[in-house]
Amino acid sequence: MTRMLVSRLLQLPFIVLAVYTVTFLLAWMVPGNPLENPEGRRPPPEIVAAMQKQYHLDDPVAFYFEYLSKASGVAWVMGKSDHPFDLGPSLRQPDWTVNEIIETGAPVSMRLGITAMMIALGIGIFAGVVGGTRPGSLPDVCTQLISIAGISLPSFVIGSALLVLFSVKLRVFPIGGVSGIESLFLPALTLSLPFAAYISRLVRFGMIEQMRSDHARTARAKGLSERQVALRHALKNAFLPVLSYLGPATAVAMTGSFVVEKVFGVPGIGQHFVEAVLAKDITLVMGVVLVYSTLLVLFNLAVDVMYRWVDPRIA
Amino acid sequence: MKVLAPFLLLLLALIATTYIDRPLPPAELVIIERSDCFTLDPQRMSYQHEIRRGETIYEGLVALNPQDCSIKAGVAERWTTSADGLTWTFHLRHNAQWSNGDSVTTRDFLYAWRRALLPDTAADYSGFFFEIEGAEAFFQWRAARLGAFKPGDDADALWRETEQRFLDDVRVHASDDFTLEVRLRRPLPYFLDLCAFAPFSPVHSVSVASFTHLDANTGRMEQSHGWTKPGFLITNGAYVPTVWRYKRDMRLERNANYWDVARVHAASIEVRVIENPNTQVLAFGAGGVDWLPDVGPEYKTEMLAQRRLYEARHAAAIGVAHDRGAELDETIRVLPPPVAGERRDIRALNAYGTDFFSFNCRPQTTNGAPNPFSDARVRRAFALAVDKQALVDRVTRLGERVATTLVPPGSIGGYPLVQGLPFDTARARAELTAAGWTDRNNDGEVEDAQGKRFPTVDLLYSTASPRYQNLALALRDMWRRELGVPVEVRGKDSKLYKEDVKKGNFSIARGGWYGDYGDPSTFLELQRSTDGNNDRGYKNPAFDAMLDEAQREADPAQRLLKLAECERFLFAEEVPLLPICSYVTVYMYDPSRLQGIREHPRLEQHFDEFQRIGAPSDATSKEHAQ
Repeated sequence: MTRMLVSRLLQLPFIVLAVYTVTFLLAWMVPGNPLENPEGRRPPPEIVAAMQKQYHLDDPVAFYFEYLSKASGVAWVMGKSDHPFDLGPSLRQPDWTVNEIIETGAPVSMRLGITAMMIALGIGIFAGVVGGTRPGSLPDVCTQLISIAGISLPSFVIGSALLVLFSVKLRVFPIGGVSGIESLFLPALTLSLPFAAYISRLVRFGMIEQMRSDHARTARAKGLSERQVALRHALKNAFLPVLSYLGPATAVAMTGSFVVEKVFGVPGIGQHFVEAVLAKDITLVMGVVLVYSTLLVLFNLAVDVMYRWVDPRIA
Repeated sequence: MKVLAPFLLLLLALIATTYIDRPLPPAELVIIERSDCFTLDPQRMSYQHEIRRGETIYEGLVALNPQDCSIKAGVAERWTTSADGLTWTFHLRHNAQWSNGDSVTTRDFLYAWRRALLPDTAADYSGFFFEIEGAEAFFQWRAARLGAFKPGDDADALWRETEQRFLDDVRVHASDDFTLEVRLRRPLPYFLDLCAFAPFSPVHSVSVASFTHLDANTGRMEQSHGWTKPGFLITNGAYVPTVWRYKRDMRLERNANYWDVARVHAASIEVRVIENPNTQVLAFGAGGVDWLPDVGPEYKTEMLAQRRLYEARHAAAIGVAHDRGAELDETIRVLPPPVAGERRDIRALNAYGTDFFSFNCRPQTTNGAPNPFSDARVRRAFALAVDKQALVDRVTRLGERVATTLVPPGSIGGYPLVQGLPFDTARARAELTAAGWTDRNNDGEVEDAQGKRFPTVDLLYSTASPRYQNLALALRDMWRRELGVPVEVRGKDSKLYKEDVKKGNFSIARGGWYGDYGDPSTFLELQRSTDGNNDRGYKNPAFDAMLDEAQREADPAQRLLKLAECERFLFAEEVPLLPICSYVTVYMYDPSRLQGIREHPRLEQHFDEFQRIGAPSDATSKEHAQ
């Protein structure tokens, strides 16, 4: 276990470096200049030239290394930077540093993603167990149908419907901004549905298989009720594929909530990221990618640790 | 149950992120904006919502009175102007303070205005400061020196020279901490209006200076924008930002050190950013929001129709109150609430801008052919043939006022109402005939004396909003029907549309203009031959001379009359552009909940005048306490 942890943590910088390099190449190839804004705000050309020089926009190689050394903390260790993980100023929003933008947006997106995953797990496992223990029954068909709808309906449709129903008509939940947990419930529910659908299908197939397995038969022979067999024995194994899905899924839920953020006016990092890509705000793009790739690696690691704990056969 | 482990882990993460991002206590007023401020640095502000925020947190020498846009005292308690109108002397009040308790002095103004005049700052409105004698030359000199700067040059020496030149050449002078003298390069009757504009606000010079440094490589004075962030930001206006989260929200708290704090109603204001226009309206509908200043979705026309139903039902009461001189909100506030199918929480207000279509006035089109629109008679014919009321009623449907001129009526005190061309199809056809275009072979289309058809009119619009497509199609039909000319519409996305307009690649193109300051020249200067925004290529030395003469007039009242004559000449005779209607801005607010929205077309809405109805008035309770 310890060896696995250490080796995985040692791999982390290399994985992140690879992601950084690929993103950098892609971002640099996008046409356009982040300092030129067609919507007015045209600084004089000599100022643009000076800013280009200052941010190394005229020299990709210098940009690549300088940004990397500041972001990774190397520059700070060497005493060349005031902050340990300086992700630079946003090129499009010169009054904001990338660190500030991530600090305000990321907690919101994380809360949204985590809440969505909890809802998805709850709905998914329940639906999967109900369907998997009685395949072909009416509840099974219903949950199957709902899960297909959850996967195929785009989130802006579901989101808008939920908004109008719960916020405008029934006035149960507020809209826009983030205050308490109640303001995140509807967006999280919308975001969770595709994940819930996928989890329910994973659990359902697992349950069907496990309920037919030898150890389920042994458990029944011991005299356990069908419910006990399902929840105590079958679910534990049927849950394993969900566990390995959970790491990347949580990362996707935390980063890929762009549409949901737009529909509900949730001020998360997703929409900033998409806008940054469109506006070629390279520092912001690189910063978000760095933070999230690090998180993704850590999530996968956490899932692997849990996996070993839940299923000692793996170790 | 090991299955519960992931739940627990997620729950822990949720608690952690919720703790990091704790909710703020509710504010007294909640406002929703579509975009966040780019900056709280007043000299670099540019957008309308940003300028409004600037005027909320800073106070300039003077301020605008939102009811009628007259000038009221700000940091300066009084001022004088010399007989030639060139020298202005401002006397600063001694009790004006920054939010940290420091006095607001002339040093802060000098420092702020110098920042605005340094190309290093990249301020959008540097041009407004060029009216100060010596300012433009100073700006150009510094820009040239920075352009020629090479690494290794002495940045410090250049900066010292810059400081000295500003003192010597730019005619703003502080004789002491509370007396500021400004000399202009020409008489500017609206100079006070400029002084009320956020980019003319002071900044706390000591704190801002601590965030700047000279860049040895470029010679520029660089600033870290950290000083605009709550915790560091020091302001001298009615409010201080205490929280500002990127594209999320801003919390404004009443500035206890503001000299006129007794007048400020709400103790705290939350400005929330919601970019999606539909979500904005839904959020307003869900309650808890006091003001939505820019209603975007297309269905606002239907919502406004519901408002008209409500007003129609109470037309008698509204009429009586109107005759008494009451503002509409005051009347509506005490009327019974709307029934199903009606609403009173949306309102279209006339704005300080005009929607128009530009005629290409250049002698030739971009492909070298003669351009019929270089003839004023043809332009008049096209303008006379347009039924603007029909456009407003059936196409734009926001209840706009039709316009025949560019300056929105009633927006500038003392400026008379100028009449442009009416809707008159017979006269339109006569003008076209006089220009040599008439239907000679009875095919329904006009030809010139040689029998050549009128060249196809290239009607250009931007596809950014359906409004312009609909307007273009309706205009095409009107011109085809009334004048017998071939018209083709051409929609382009905003970027290509702007390029084509700048290149003059159009016959008629969609346009629009919002005034920057309270003087007709902000609209009329657009038609000057050399103006950077003269997209029409309209060059008329006679008009330039008229404009110059009006601008030189020393008597303000006489000057406005002369400017009105310029405008009459433009829109009754020359018609370089076809005004359609005044712009409106659509607000959502419930008059029975929020008080303090002003109707003046410049739409100066001051947060310090906003008040929740029913909320205990702090201003009065404070008076009681005293």
